[in-house]
Amino acid sequence: MANIEARTDVTGAVWKIVTEVGQRVEAGDTIMIIESMKMEIPVVSEENGTVERFLVEEKTPVTEGQVVAILKA
Amino acid sequence: MSTPEDRKAPGRDAESYEGRRAKALAMGGPEKVTRRKAAGVLNVRERVDALVDAGTFIETGLFGVSGTRPEDRDKSAADGKVAGFGKVDGRECAVVANDFTVMGASSGATNGRKIGHVKRVATSRGLPMIFLGESSGARMPDHMGSRGMGALLGNDPTQYARMRETPWASATLGLSYGSSSWYAVLSDFSVIRKGAVLAVSSAQLASLAIKEDVNPEVMGGWKVHAEVTGFADAVAETDEEAIAAIKTFLSYLPSHNKEAPPVHEVAPGSGEAMAGIAKLLPEKRTQVYDVRNIIRAIADKDRFFELKARFGKVAVTGLARLDGRTVGFVANNPLSKGGALDTDACEKITSFLVLCDSFNIPIVLLVDTPGFVIGTEAERKRAPGKIMNFMQALQLCTVPKLSVILRKSYGQAYLNMGGGRNSDEVAAWPTAEVSFMDPTFAVKIVHGLEPGQPGFDEAFERMNKDSEPWDMAGIYAVQSVIRPQDTRDYLIRMLDVHRQRMSNGVGQHLMQAWPTSF
Repeated sequence: MANIEARTDVTGAVWKIVTEVGQRVEAGDTIMIIESMKMEIPVVSEENGTVERFLVEEKTPVTEGQVVAILKA
Repeated sequence: MSTPEDRKAPGRDAESYEGRRAKALAMGGPEKVTRRKAAGVLNVRERVDALVDAGTFIETGLFGVSGTRPEDRDKSAADGKVAGFGKVDGRECAVVANDFTVMGASSGATNGRKIGHVKRVATSRGLPMIFLGESSGARMPDHMGSRGMGALLGNDPTQYARMRETPWASATLGLSYGSSSWYAVLSDFSVIRKGAVLAVSSAQLASLAIKEDVNPEVMGGWKVHAEVTGFADAVAETDEEAIAAIKTFLSYLPSHNKEAPPVHEVAPGSGEAMAGIAKLLPEKRTQVYDVRNIIRAIADKDRFFELKARFGKVAVTGLARLDGRTVGFVANNPLSKGGALDTDACEKITSFLVLCDSFNIPIVLLVDTPGFVIGTEAERKRAPGKIMNFMQALQLCTVPKLSVILRKSYGQAYLNMGGGRNSDEVAAWPTAEVSFMDPTFAVKIVHGLEPGQPGFDEAFERMNKDSEPWDMAGIYAVQSVIRPQDTRDYLIRMLDVHRQRMSNGVGQHLMQAWPTSF
């Protein structure tokens, strides 16, 4: 089972994690929301998979391209 | 004994003509052609057939062969590049299509003359120019040595001078190095087929030069050009799909820059989605959405052709029809980075504005951006220069420009997205919020208050209220406040008002010599 890396495409801070470890997500589903430029910007799963673990917590600062969660295909 | 009168003039028998013609049409020979077929790739003549209307292709230079090396004449059918003129959806176009089965479609003396001729005809007679690219680059050993260089290169001082007299469209349909890459990036529209490679030179040569293994697709495959360089306006799965994309692109363009774009029938069902358009905008001001759904609702049904969809995604650029007429949409897309404009988006919008203005296409700007991306990374990517290129391009546009503020419009981005006199008309939805910066930041800077501190909420509310469009409408800095569901009708009417009647819909093309890539 391949790992899928979910990345933020924006620099900001984690505002809300809206999934849980073990949760099944489809391509296009929101995994967490980053706050940047006073906007809520979703980190969206690019593939179907199951949330394996989070690499950040709410309020963690993140930078563009950073891996924020690992999913299993 | 025959007399001179009995002898036929050279080449006057039908056999000689038919034999030579058949040889030229056989491309690189049955073995190579069969191999391509097995790989599911069209050969050059099938590509031309897929492009032009049946029976309209008139070829030039069919009997061209290597002009440099006599020993190559028998194996250089059409000298590796098929050139000519054909109708694409009823309109005359000029075509150069590379034949990789003939000496890798490498550039040689004769095919250089063919390309030069077709380009000159296209430019002087007002025909779109189409390149179907797949080439190994400069022909070897023809170009070697100072004599080779002197004889084959640099003899046409206009070869790469793009003045956008007529639109150019290119498809990269295989390994593409040297001139076929140059023509791809010089084009106004460039589509790359998956599996093709667009690069300066081959991976093999690159490996020799930099002493490391270079993977061709990693170096110049579709993902690189769709997502990183932005050279690819579109990506196709197959040759046929790539050629269809060229046709779609050209359907929005005039044949040359001295005429307005063609007018088409309005697609049935156009405007039907307008009733639900307000629902496409989230109620909460901090939530994101995909602005392409709003564009699709406004445009004629299924007549939105997005360009560079995978590059600079915070902005959307695309050709569309409104009431059958071509327009270019420039929109912020909050779905990506909240719509904050980054340097890639600046380049993408700049090149799109140049395209539209050069070919008399009115521009519609849909605004919802918290501003330009700021910070160390943005500055290192030369943000001030990119922002000003974009701004200058907008101000140099002489086609009609209409701007609609859907939601946020802040700071310099307000100007770049057509605010003030940077559009011919600015309209705002009642949901518009316009200010120098987001009220949350402004409360901090003006009052020194953070969210949660006493007085913050009141100060925020006051500033937020000041951002509503009514004060701006009160001083006529936006000309109209419109209901979202009226946007399509408003744009159609205003485009009619602003139609350039005194020049038959033709602008001044002040950026026609601007680069085709930045």
